[in-house]
Amino acid sequence: MKHAFVAAILLTVPLETALAGDLHGKVTSKGMADNANAVVYVAAVPGKSFPIPTASAQIDQRNMKFQPHVLPVLVGTTVEFLNSDTVSHNVFTPDACAGKFNLGTWAPGSSKKPHTFTKECAATLLCLIHPEMEAFVVVVPTPYFAATTADGAYKIAGVPDGSYTVKVWHPKLKTIQKAVTVNGPTEVDLELSK
Amino acid sequence: MSANAPRSLAPWMAVPIVLSIGVGPASAVPVFSRKYQTSCMTCHAVFPKLNPFGEAFRLNGYRLPAQTEDQIKEKPVSLGADAYKRLWPKMVYPSDLPGGAPFALNMKMAMLYASSLGDTGKQIVHNDFQLPQEVNLFTAGTLGERFGFFGEVTFSERPDGGSDVELEHAQLHIDSPFGPENLVHFRIGKFAPNLYDGFQEMWIMTDNGIDTLFNYNPIGFAGGTGLSDGGGGVGLPARVRGIEMYGVAKHRLFYTVGVDNTIGPGGPNGTFGNNSKKDVYARADWKFGGMGLDGDTSGAPLTAENWREKSLRVGLLAYTGDGTAIDFDVMDPAGAPFKMQDVRYSRVGGFASWYFKDLNVFGVLLHGSDRLQLLDKENLSLIGETKRDFNAWFAQADYVIRPPFQASLRYEHLRVGDRSVPSIKALNANFTFLARANIKAMLEYHRDLRDSQIYTLATVLRFAL
Repeated sequence: MKHAFVAAILLTVPLETALAGDLHGKVTSKGMADNANAVVYVAAVPGKSFPIPTASAQIDQRNMKFQPHVLPVLVGTTVEFLNSDTVSHNVFTPDACAGKFNLGTWAPGSSKKPHTFTKECAATLLCLIHPEMEAFVVVVPTPYFAATTADGAYKIAGVPDGSYTVKVWHPKLKTIQKAVTVNGPTEVDLELSK
Repeated sequence: MSANAPRSLAPWMAVPIVLSIGVGPASAVPVFSRKYQTSCMTCHAVFPKLNPFGEAFRLNGYRLPAQTEDQIKEKPVSLGADAYKRLWPKMVYPSDLPGGAPFALNMKMAMLYASSLGDTGKQIVHNDFQLPQEVNLFTAGTLGERFGFFGEVTFSERPDGGSDVELEHAQLHIDSPFGPENLVHFRIGKFAPNLYDGFQEMWIMTDNGIDTLFNYNPIGFAGGTGLSDGGGGVGLPARVRGIEMYGVAKHRLFYTVGVDNTIGPGGPNGTFGNNSKKDVYARADWKFGGMGLDGDTSGAPLTAENWREKSLRVGLLAYTGDGTAIDFDVMDPAGAPFKMQDVRYSRVGGFASWYFKDLNVFGVLLHGSDRLQLLDKENLSLIGETKRDFNAWFAQADYVIRPPFQASLRYEHLRVGDRSVPSIKALNANFTFLARANIKAMLEYHRDLRDSQIYTLATVLRFAL
C-alpha cells in the first residue's frame, strides 16, 4: 500500500510540471546595491484573458517607508493603502496611466484607502508629507509575474508550457524583454543595466 | 653696505619666517574613504598628492568615474524620491544628503629646526617643537546628482603660543548641469582655483608650498623684492573668492575659467582686495597618454600600480586683474612711507607634468608684470608709475621608491621685479614614509641657495581620520 502511494506521487508530479512549469532564475541588476525589486512577467499569453482578481493587494506605510517597495499586480487589481506608522501619510501618483490619483492624507491606523489599477502601468507612488518615500505598483497583463529578492532570485509558478515574451522592469534600470520557451521547470537568467 | 642692502636682506630673512609660521598644505579627505569604504591609496599616491584616478575623481565633482549605486557604501539620505524630478517646478527637485557626518580631520605635528639671518647678518638658529602645528577640519561630499561641497577650516598654533583660525575652503559645486557629463562644472565660494591644478599646496606631496609662485610680493618701492611677510601682495592668490567654470572634454582636454576678487594685502584668511574690480583667470591642458582626465581608460594601457603611468600633461595659464584703489604700504630706501597700487597685473605661464613609471616630474614657468603707481601717503596723489616684471619657475621630481617610501626634490627660481635684488633660488628636498595609508612622517629640508645659513629642516607627522 505504501509503495503504491509513492509510485502515484512519482507519476503525478512529472505529469503536472509538463503541463504548467515554473519559470525561475536570477536577475542581475548591474550597478545597483542589490538585485531586488525587479519585476519579471510574461507579457502575454496568446488567446487567453484573465479575470479581474477578487482579492485586493496591499501596500503599507510603516517606519516612513512604503512596504513593499515594488508591488506587481494584474490589471484590474485593487490595491489597498494602509498606514501602520506613527505619523500621518499621503499617497499620490503623478502617472497618467494610473489616473494621477491622490488619496489624500490620513492618520495612523485609519481605514484603508483603495485604488484600482485598470491599465498596464508602472505607477510611482509618493507621499506629499515625506518626499523621500517612494514605491511602485507595476500593473502587468498576465498573472504570471514575480518580484526579485535581494539576490535576484525569482520564481513564477504555474506558467503553461509554451513560447512567450518575458519582460523585466526595474525602478532605475531599462526594461528588457526576452523570448522564452517554457517546458516544465525552466530556468532563465536575465541582466538589467542602465 | 650699499643703500640697497636692507632691501636685499629682507627677502632672505623672510624665507625662514614664512616656513616657520606658515600653515602647511591641506591634506587627505577621509570623508570619501568612508563614503566609498575604500583606502586613501585609491586616490592618493601619498596624501594629499592625487594619483591619476584621484585627479579624475576630483575633476568629476568628487564622484567616481561612471559611478554606480553599489559603489556608494554609505547610503545617502534621500531628500526626495526620484519621481519628484517629473513634478518640478510644482514640487521641490529631489536631492540627498551624505549618509554619515561628512567631516574629517587632519592633524599635523612638526619639529622645526630653522636657521636664518638677523638684522645684523648674524645667524639665528631656532629649534621648535610645533606639537601640534595645525588641525584641519574638512567637510566634503555630494548633494544629489548635481551638487557637491567642500570646506576646510584650519586651526593653527603659532610658535609664540598664539593661534589662528583660517577658513581655507568653502565652496558649492554644480556638477554637469547641462551638456555631456564632466564637460561643464561650476564652483562658487572660496577655493584653490583649478588654475593651479597639480601644483597648489593642496595637491603636492611636500610640506612646503611653492612660495616663489604663491608668496612673491610684487609690491615694492622699486618693484617686488622677495616673499610676502604679511601686508604685501602676492604673485598668485593661493585661494580665491570667486566663481569658476571647469571641465574635461574628449577625456584629455582640461579647461578652467574663473572670476574672483582682486588681490590685496594679506590677512589671516587670504590676500583679498576690497575694490569693486574682479580678476579673471583661465587655463587649458591636454594630457597625452595615461588615464583620461575624467577617468576614461579606453585605449590606455593601465598598470597594476595606480600611481604609475606614462603620460605627459601640458597646459597654459593666465591670470589678470586691476588693483586700483587697493593701497599697499611701501617705503623708499631712506625709510619714507608711501602708498602703492598695483593697477594692472597679469601672469602668464605654462605647466607640464610628466609621468614615467614611478617618477613624476612637473613644473611651472610663470611671467608676471605689474603696473605700480606710487602715491603720496597722505593725500594719495599720484607721484609716479612704473612697470615691473618678474619671472618664476620651479621643477619638482617626485619618486615612488616603494609605496610607503617616497621622495621629492624641487628647485625654485624667482627673478624679482626690483632688479637690484638678487634672484631667489631655493631647494626643497623631502623624504616621506607612509606608515599607514593615513599616517605619514616626512623629513623635509628647505634651503635658500643664496646663503648656506638660511635653511629649515622639518620633521613632520601628519595623519588623517
